[in-house]
Amino acid sequence: MDFELEWTKDQEAFRKEVRMWLQDNAPTIFEHPDPANLTEEEYLLQRSFGKALGSKGWLYPTMPIEYGGGGLPMDLAMILEEELDLYNLALPPYYDTGGKLGSMAILVWGEHQQKSYFLPKILSGEIRTWQLLTEPESGSDLASVKTTAILDGDEYVVNGTKIYVGSNHGAEYSWTIVVTDPGGERHKNLGWLMIPMNLPGITVEPMDLLFVGGERGAASGIKNTVFFDDVRVPAFNLIGGENNGWKVASTHLEIEHGLLRSAVRGDPLTERIVEYARENKNGGHFYIEDPYVKERLVDFFIDTEVTRLLHFRNYAWRSQGKQLTYEGAQAYLFQKRSQLTRARAVLDIFGSQALIADPDPEAIGGGHIEIHQRSSIVDQHPGGTAEIQRVIIARRLGIGRSEREEPGKLN
Amino acid sequence: MDLLLNEQQLMLQSTVQDLLKRDFTKERLAEFDSGKADLKDQWDSVCSTGILGSLIPEKYGGIGGSFSDTGVVFQELGKGPLPGPHFTSSVLAANLIIQCGTESQKHNYLPRIAEGKFIFSVAISNLNQSVNTIFEDFRLAQNGVSGVRLNIPELRLATHVIVPFTSEPGIQGLAVIPTNTYGLSIRPLTGMSTEQYELKTENAEIEEILTGFKLSAFSSALIQSTALLCSFQVGGLERVLEMCLTYSKTRHQFGQPIGRFQRVQDHIIDIVNYLDSAKWTTYEALWKLDTAQESKVGIHMAGSLASEGYYLGCNAAHDVHAGVGIIREYGLTLHTKMSRTLYSYLGNPRYHRNEIAKALYF
Repeated sequence: MDFELEWTKDQEAFRKEVRMWLQDNAPTIFEHPDPANLTEEEYLLQRSFGKALGSKGWLYPTMPIEYGGGGLPMDLAMILEEELDLYNLALPPYYDTGGKLGSMAILVWGEHQQKSYFLPKILSGEIRTWQLLTEPESGSDLASVKTTAILDGDEYVVNGTKIYVGSNHGAEYSWTIVVTDPGGERHKNLGWLMIPMNLPGITVEPMDLLFVGGERGAASGIKNTVFFDDVRVPAFNLIGGENNGWKVASTHLEIEHGLLRSAVRGDPLTERIVEYARENKNGGHFYIEDPYVKERLVDFFIDTEVTRLLHFRNYAWRSQGKQLTYEGAQAYLFQKRSQLTRARAVLDIFGSQALIADPDPEAIGGGHIEIHQRSSIVDQHPGGTAEIQRVIIARRLGIGRSEREEPGKLN
Repeated sequence: MDLLLNEQQLMLQSTVQDLLKRDFTKERLAEFDSGKADLKDQWDSVCSTGILGSLIPEKYGGIGGSFSDTGVVFQELGKGPLPGPHFTSSVLAANLIIQCGTESQKHNYLPRIAEGKFIFSVAISNLNQSVNTIFEDFRLAQNGVSGVRLNIPELRLATHVIVPFTSEPGIQGLAVIPTNTYGLSIRPLTGMSTEQYELKTENAEIEEILTGFKLSAFSSALIQSTALLCSFQVGGLERVLEMCLTYSKTRHQFGQPIGRFQRVQDHIIDIVNYLDSAKWTTYEALWKLDTAQESKVGIHMAGSLASEGYYLGCNAAHDVHAGVGIIREYGLTLHTKMSRTLYSYLGNPRYHRNEIAKALYF
């Protein structure tokens, strides 16, 4: 066992190259406690920085060079992430599930022409893509979606409604799980469609939600409802063939269920809470002097460390080519559940002041603490509820089954 | 970065697996537990594998393995769980002698510990408060050591015991006392534990004092040993998980395997989560020890998660197994008893958490 991230000369040379390049090219983007406050101007700055990264193959560094990726091994991609982290930036530097998840599905399941058409656009940062999965009546049971895409000549005609979609500031494409065979058997009736968002018949309406977050790079700020009314999409845009959408989806769901988190970043929330507890008084004593507070801080510390280690294990095993089974969902489950326990502990420690939002001067930690009271609830659901993570773990361990469930295809 | 076992470790792993499969089946371990068989009669087979020398440097007759190597050994022993003085002798006592003994003491004791000819226990138990409290129970005076302490593990087979003492002027130290010394007596404590004893000495003559003793060296030996105790607990929990997975497929109720019920699944998923939390913090702590990094916080974290995880994991396993789980020969209760026995041994979760708070200046 070796937990050290040791760097060879070549790797260090790469780090130097990245560092020099970032000195000239990295933009300064304010990290809003609430990503909903990201301005249009800041977003455009993120996008143009994305294109600059893309021109070097660094926007999606592990994707193949022939499609505009960097063709880099995971260790060099990690160096890139570490260096970006120093600027408080992530890969990609904006919400783009097309790149983080969809591109892998296209790479695994797309025809040659589809790969040549879509991947360079995604990997260069020319387009950003939202994912359209959930519907008002289809959440955890994703395979039960109702949005239809019926073939008419060389176009699919799309009708239906998707919710919890995307981010602020729009997107150029959406990949969408649709029903291509309404009379077909469950799991064999779906399609996976890349839909240009400028087509007639698409309406996007922001949802009014408790909070919308995500990790820095993936922070979306806003979620939308997207309505499709007789939207005509070229048949060319169906990835993975007729009625094969469930299998295509299994690829990106595999990544989404716990393989997204960067192996680099610690948890800034714990650091913020400890810092505030050290520097501020309650009833004449520093918070941190209270034995109850000490105990909770140790809980935070352990939670943070275990979550870090589980993600690190997954990262290490993936880069060593070892097949993961239940581990992604497990790390994701830890990540989700520890938010809830921490939110309650924070409320116990700091009392009602934890509920005061930025920009009120009494907000703790510049508003980050109050945001966490909301995000801890919101974080339970995206990418599959905690219960869905448990279902995945159970199937992959083979609890009560003679055969373990196979993970989604990643190459 | 390479989070897989290396060749040497895979070899150690299969050595211990073979040992357990050949000589210490579940049925035999249940016989030890009920008193129908005695580990004493099979101790030679443990010695013959050489694993008792795993942590002992080559110049003192051991293998000179790393902490991570030795962790692999104890993780496999924990799967039994194989009771016996392997931990107290080849890890805890050996570490104390390495860190606090003189050169001649090391040459005298360590090769024999590695061979299994000398079997050591250490009069440490219930480390739930400050390390200093360990020295309070035994007094060293002109005519020997006197005192009493409860819940000392594995004294029955021990040839020697290391006794932490306070001498009259208030000075602490470690005494080596052969267990057949006049004035030393042991009393088995029966109950919800495995191989625990009361140690009593009345003016017991000492064989040696470990004169290199310093509290810092003692604490360092103790914390290093704690990391390997975690490996044993992790192994135990790993076996508990295997038992549950098998049972979830083979036990049918309401016309289907019980593992099809999500309430049953939830118990097993809890066990996996306890296991992986304890396992990966333990692996990382051992690696930190091997690479001479600051490891105290990591070991206390592993200590807390391993004690808690083994304990709660056994509870969950009993929920999965219901009545079957409490039948001795099924084997689950061996783990349940072991999880209780080790829960407070080198510090309960609360103790470890307090130590983390101190180390991080909370």
